[in-house]
Amino acid sequence: MDIVFAAFDWSFIWENRAEIWSGLKNTLRAAAIGIAGSFLIGVVLGAARAHRIPVVSQLAAIYVELIRNTPILVQIFFLYFGILPWLGYTGTPFLAAWLSITIWGGAFNTENFRAGFEAVPRQFREAAYALGFTPLKTFLNVTLPIGGRIALPSTINTYISVLKNTSLLLVIGYAELTSVANHIQSVTFRTFEMFAVIAVVYLALVWTLSALVRLLEARLALPESR
Amino acid sequence: MQQDPDWFRNVAEYILREGLPTTLKLAAVAVIVSTVVGMVLGTLITIPFRPLRALIRLYIEVWRGLPILVTVLFIYWTATAEVGGFRFELSAFWSAAVGLSLWGSAQVAEATRGAVQSIPREQHEAASALGFGWVGRHTFVIVPQAVRRLIPPMVGLLVNIIQNTTIAYVIGVSELLETANRQFENLTLAGDGHPFVIFGFVLALFFLISFPLTRLAAYLERRLV
Repeated sequence: MDIVFAAFDWSFIWENRAEIWSGLKNTLRAAAIGIAGSFLIGVVLGAARAHRIPVVSQLAAIYVELIRNTPILVQIFFLYFGILPWLGYTGTPFLAAWLSITIWGGAFNTENFRAGFEAVPRQFREAAYALGFTPLKTFLNVTLPIGGRIALPSTINTYISVLKNTSLLLVIGYAELTSVANHIQSVTFRTFEMFAVIAVVYLALVWTLSALVRLLEARLALPESR
Repeated sequence: MQQDPDWFRNVAEYILREGLPTTLKLAAVAVIVSTVVGMVLGTLITIPFRPLRALIRLYIEVWRGLPILVTVLFIYWTATAEVGGFRFELSAFWSAAVGLSLWGSAQVAEATRGAVQSIPREQHEAASALGFGWVGRHTFVIVPQAVRRLIPPMVGLLVNIIQNTTIAYVIGVSELLETANRQFENLTLAGDGHPFVIFGFVLALFFLISFPLTRLAAYLERRLV
């Protein structure tokens, strides 16, 4: 074992700390936009699905099935090489980066929120209507807070996937953590050490988020389910 | 340069002939290995022996927590490098297969643990009363019943693994996305790459494979659970 460890050299990590740090920031930036965007898409389209709003509900169903049944990596290619140049966009990969993971997360979140909103008992909404709430106020004050809590664990799992999917943005040259690591290892040949470092970073992020799921599940559980 | 008017036929034929078999082979290997390893680990984790539990839990959380691309790149680069005087050689295909299987087996292990623990205690007691030891009890009584609950998530896993085989593109395995991208690059050099049609074609192929399977998973979920 001594021989194996003696062969390792960790000093290059410190020497390349600026590049690794900027990769981490790019990962977090894309993930933050992806998470916020998929939250918005999920709430809006999930509500449209749960309330069976004509046309929007059917279009949302098609969107969800298209995204869930195709690989995100091919979606990234289709968006970056197909759709964006066709629309006349030929700038940095950042737009394609956050857009692709947002569209993906939005589809999964639509299903999460749809299931959450549908799990809210009908009587709760009827009670709100009886109190004179408009449909929008009923949604914001009754369906969203209760259904959102029911959907919380599954939505956080989707956010974890969104975070992990940022690694795929390597293929379009977005300089996030994985592509930075891949670049550094190709120059230094310190493959094992480089990937060990980013593995620890990813696990720290993912495990923190999954710990958050358990914490929130306990904190935000609906009173009657305790 | 003038483009062959039959370009789409050639592209589609190349993708289907070169890419599709590799994608299916990779998915098949990953699904089989994931199922076998995952079911064994998922059953073993129900043994009340802390060190073993902690070890399997670590395996599950690490391979589920890492992006599959990171796992695959790590295996690919370290498996073709010299580590401590040993020289490992693992082809790109097998690096991808191992990476996908590590992730898949962690998923199966977690699902199996839940399914095995959901079998009522009386089943264990009845099997013990008939003289079965731990291995016999699980092989003949507990796991066969748990499998019923495992079928819907297993179909879901199959869909996920088929889609995630595209990650092998990054290390150059000639699967659907890699062959499509090759054709796209060739056509781009010849003037027009037709990215819309080529990547749209790949999306359509995956949709045709995945959609019936996700419907099946939803149907089985209603019927079996």
